[in-house]
Amino acid sequence: MQYSKDGLLRAYRRMATIRQFEERLHEEIAKGEIPGFTHLYAGQEAAAVGVCEHLDSDDMIVSTHRGHGHCIAKGCDVDGMMKEIYGSREGLCKGRGGSMHIADTSIGMLGANGIVGAGAPQAVGAAIAAKAAGKGKVAIAFSGDGACNQGTTFEAMNMAAVIKVPAIFVFENNHYSEHTGDAYAVGTALDIASRAEAFGMRAWRANGCDFYSTFEAMAELLDYVRSTNLPAAIELDTERFYGHFEGDPQRYRAKGEVARLREERDALKSFRASAVTKTYLSTDELDALDAAVGEEIDRAVEAARKAERPDPSHVLEDVYASY
Amino acid sequence: MAALKPFAMPKWGIEMTEGTVAGWQVEEGKPFAKGDVIVLIETDKITNEVEADADGCLVRLLVGAQETKPVGALLAVMGPPDASAAEIDAFVAAYRPAGSSAAANMEEAPASPPEPAPAPPPSAPPSKIADSIAISPAARRAAEAAGLSVADIAPSGRNGRITRQDVDKAMAGSRMPVLRGPIAVSGQEEAYASPLARRIAAQNGVDLAQLTGTGPRGRICKADVLAVANIPAPSAPLPVSSPPGDDVTVEPMSAMRKTIARRLTEAKQAIPHIYLRRRVRADALIALRARDGKIGTINDYLIRAAALALREVPSCNVQVHEGAIHRFAHADIAMAVATDRGLITPIITRADEHSIADIAKESARLAQRARAGKLRPEEFQGGSFSISNLGSFGVESFDAVINPPQGAILAVGAARQEPVDDNGAIRIVPVLHLSLSCDHRAIDGVDGARFLAAIAELIENPERL
Amino acid sequence: MSVMNIREAINQTLHDAMERDPSVILLGEDVAGGAGTAGGQEAIGGIWGTSTGLIGKFGPDRVIDTPISESAIVGAAAGAALAGMRPVAELMFADFIGVCGDQLINQIAKFRYMFGGKARCPVVVRLIYGAGMNSAAQHSQAFYNLLTAIPGLKVAMPSTPADAKGLLNEALHGDDPVMFFEHKALYGKKGEVPEGDYRVPFGHVRMAREGGDVTIVAFGRMVSFAEKAADKLAEDGIGCDIIDPRTTSPLDEEAILDSVEQTGRLVVVDECPPRCGLAADVTALVAQKAFTSLDAPPECVTAPHTPVPFSPELERAYVPGPPAIEAAVRRTLDWG
Repeated sequence: MQYSKDGLLRAYRRMATIRQFEERLHEEIAKGEIPGFTHLYAGQEAAAVGVCEHLDSDDMIVSTHRGHGHCIAKGCDVDGMMKEIYGSREGLCKGRGGSMHIADTSIGMLGANGIVGAGAPQAVGAAIAAKAAGKGKVAIAFSGDGACNQGTTFEAMNMAAVIKVPAIFVFENNHYSEHTGDAYAVGTALDIASRAEAFGMRAWRANGCDFYSTFEAMAELLDYVRSTNLPAAIELDTERFYGHFEGDPQRYRAKGEVARLREERDALKSFRASAVTKTYLSTDELDALDAAVGEEIDRAVEAARKAERPDPSHVLEDVYASY
Repeated sequence: MAALKPFAMPKWGIEMTEGTVAGWQVEEGKPFAKGDVIVLIETDKITNEVEADADGCLVRLLVGAQETKPVGALLAVMGPPDASAAEIDAFVAAYRPAGSSAAANMEEAPASPPEPAPAPPPSAPPSKIADSIAISPAARRAAEAAGLSVADIAPSGRNGRITRQDVDKAMAGSRMPVLRGPIAVSGQEEAYASPLARRIAAQNGVDLAQLTGTGPRGRICKADVLAVANIPAPSAPLPVSSPPGDDVTVEPMSAMRKTIARRLTEAKQAIPHIYLRRRVRADALIALRARDGKIGTINDYLIRAAALALREVPSCNVQVHEGAIHRFAHADIAMAVATDRGLITPIITRADEHSIADIAKESARLAQRARAGKLRPEEFQGGSFSISNLGSFGVESFDAVINPPQGAILAVGAARQEPVDDNGAIRIVPVLHLSLSCDHRAIDGVDGARFLAAIAELIENPERL
Repeated sequence: MSVMNIREAINQTLHDAMERDPSVILLGEDVAGGAGTAGGQEAIGGIWGTSTGLIGKFGPDRVIDTPISESAIVGAAAGAALAGMRPVAELMFADFIGVCGDQLINQIAKFRYMFGGKARCPVVVRLIYGAGMNSAAQHSQAFYNLLTAIPGLKVAMPSTPADAKGLLNEALHGDDPVMFFEHKALYGKKGEVPEGDYRVPFGHVRMAREGGDVTIVAFGRMVSFAEKAADKLAEDGIGCDIIDPRTTSPLDEEAILDSVEQTGRLVVVDECPPRCGLAADVTALVAQKAFTSLDAPPECVTAPHTPVPFSPELERAYVPGPPAIEAAVRRTLDWG
């Protein structure tokens, strides 16, 4: 597959932004700066970016509780996200959603979602709209190995197949549904894609810790969906570098597991290795991007700390368009 | 047939519902003499001896020591020592306590349920409701305190329990309100207005199309229509009467008028007024005033007389408050002053300690300040007694409304030439008609009568003033 | 004005809306009916007859016959709304909110708020509800009280053909999710329906009767029962204000309080069981905001605290009827 240098630099920058965003949150949460609970996406960067690099703002995604990566990959404003997570009035959702409910419908990001499995039917609805618009647009539901066990996900896959709409079910299998292993909780362990196939749609499989693997499989998948308006699925084998939520002691992990994953399954490392061997990009260029992203995240945190806090009167806003 | 008589649990005072036999002082079958102590009965207040009011004999004791029985319950049977056991058994079986409460009946004769008693009058003694009755604690207290039979109450509580509300309803009785019936006005359906706004608009001929709504979502609300219709907000049902015609000026009450209205309404509704009337010869008083060079008005003399009479009859020198009577050492007397804004009653403090001249000066000063609207609150608040004098307007006599928390008010009419009995001769002299309104919660008729006698004595013998 | 029943009023309103606005779509089980059968599309036309003729006119891309998947129906409606459409989702029985509860209460009710006012979710969920058809415990409930409790949802329940059109049309013009409750026993109720783009604002009661003695607040099917009771009471000179709130979220509190201030007496009639229902809600409202106007304790006429029974005798005993309403009115008058 042919890659443009700009495209690769943009993809790397997105992945690096996700990584640094999440690692910085990990630090700030430990300091007690951030209210509520937060689910970090670090480790799965190649999945979000490998999927979303193919999309433009008319394509729509529905995300999960572990949604920061999807938001950044789809193009949400990083400052606005950080302010939202800090609970500021200036946040992307005015501080009313927080980490689990970041959305920006103007760029096709229809929302992260606190309910596991809730998003898949919504992607079917978005796909109805995409089909009605008639511009070859698609709607994507990100789901994990947890959501793949929800009845809503099954209903959504069946309905998408029945009513024939361009809905795409992306299953990011990070091998943990909360604190339980996929070997236990997924009846078709290590094979979620076959479930989608059983509902009568085509399914792909790719390495969700490798940008190129995900990106290339998605290229094929999207060609198929955009040309047929039919649903499809992809299972991405990926990894979660942090716990289910921040503060999770992760006693379910094997000794040294995270260190091993960071050594062997780090999407940014593998991207660098391939990028350099493919000679498009130099290590210096990537280092410069890392530094630029670092500054961006610093600025975002500083801005979030100083941002306007909500006023108690704001609690009543936006319940209804009119009441 | 032997003459058997019941010996029943006595009733001492209206609150006694039951008693405990503390100990028999006579033995079964042994005669006793009049005045002997028969039994000791314990109530929640006292232990009392029951003495024999005649010679006699208890032929059977039915209740042992420390047993508790309701008032009227049969404790023993009196009769000749030779009465047979069968006769006594029959007597006991046939016994019904006189004027027994339902509760007592149930204890004595559980086999035959009592006749449901009609709801007793409020003054009926409290009755005990059997524990077996399903009734909430608050309902039980209320029913017992009111002496209400719960037998007829339809329970609305869970599992058929009688609720406090059921008891309240039973005590309130069934009274159909004055019905207003269906209403046929509801014009201008197309207007976006609340139903009440529509109704008021229809009744007052307001065109809703001309109004801008200030209610939710821009809806025309009651206030919007009232503002245009120029009528005050109805707090109660809308007046059924037609709006005033062109020749009637509608003028909202001033704050002062509203206060007067509210206070007088409260006084007339809440205070049980009693009215005592008396004629008093005023010839001596008028003569005295002439001799004095008219240093004061007749009213000033009356204030002084009332003050001295109050000192003589302190039971009328009171304020009445919720659950308390405030008694005053001095006579602070309010005088009613009409102003163009309404009635106000400035106070002559310690009128009993001041001379007529002082009172005259003070009353003139207060009346002038009242008419100028310059009274300070301490100049018109308080007092225990008012005088209202409409004599100068030719009013013969009238009854006044008490100015709470004061205990009484004296209404004074004009001094008219009337015939009086003067030691057997008829003489025509000036006579004042006095009417004393007393708050019966604190002042009894006899107190008021004493006061009237005292003030009459002072008016007819004014030298003491 | 033309005379039609509630079924026809809803059908007509859906026709008009889909004609007017290409973003209006309909999703539900058997909304076309007959898909994938020998009889073919439109063999059914919706089991309630409310979607008759739609698929023929607007095609399967807009009249979407779904599998039996309530979560996916409401979820897809939610997603389509976020993506700019105006979906109408039909729950064949309101009882099925138990199946798709998450999409109703955690998803469409909350998008606008959670997303800082930037998301728009104009979903209309049509819920067919109510007892009276011997449908037993899982197909007869009046669950509007549950959804009224959820901030972010609007809840409407027409009791006349005109209101069926006016409220549904209003819902299809608004930008909020609306739970539109249709009583299965009222579909055949006839009445005059205004022509054209007739809309009834939410939060604005209909006065079904006016009278000065007692305020009756009745919901949905209970309105006509209250009217029957009021006719009977009128023979004794008792005048009832019958308030049909039409929407329970928003609720026209002002009209209810205004009426109670006039009458001093309140009877609330609700097909839901008594606990945490609309009768309790309205009674609490009046106790809080018109306490001194009350001349008698408010009366609640509701279904009992039981599931809906099957047997006709039992169901008749379950559903509040005109005699119970009449008795309740008389109890409030008994307080004098």
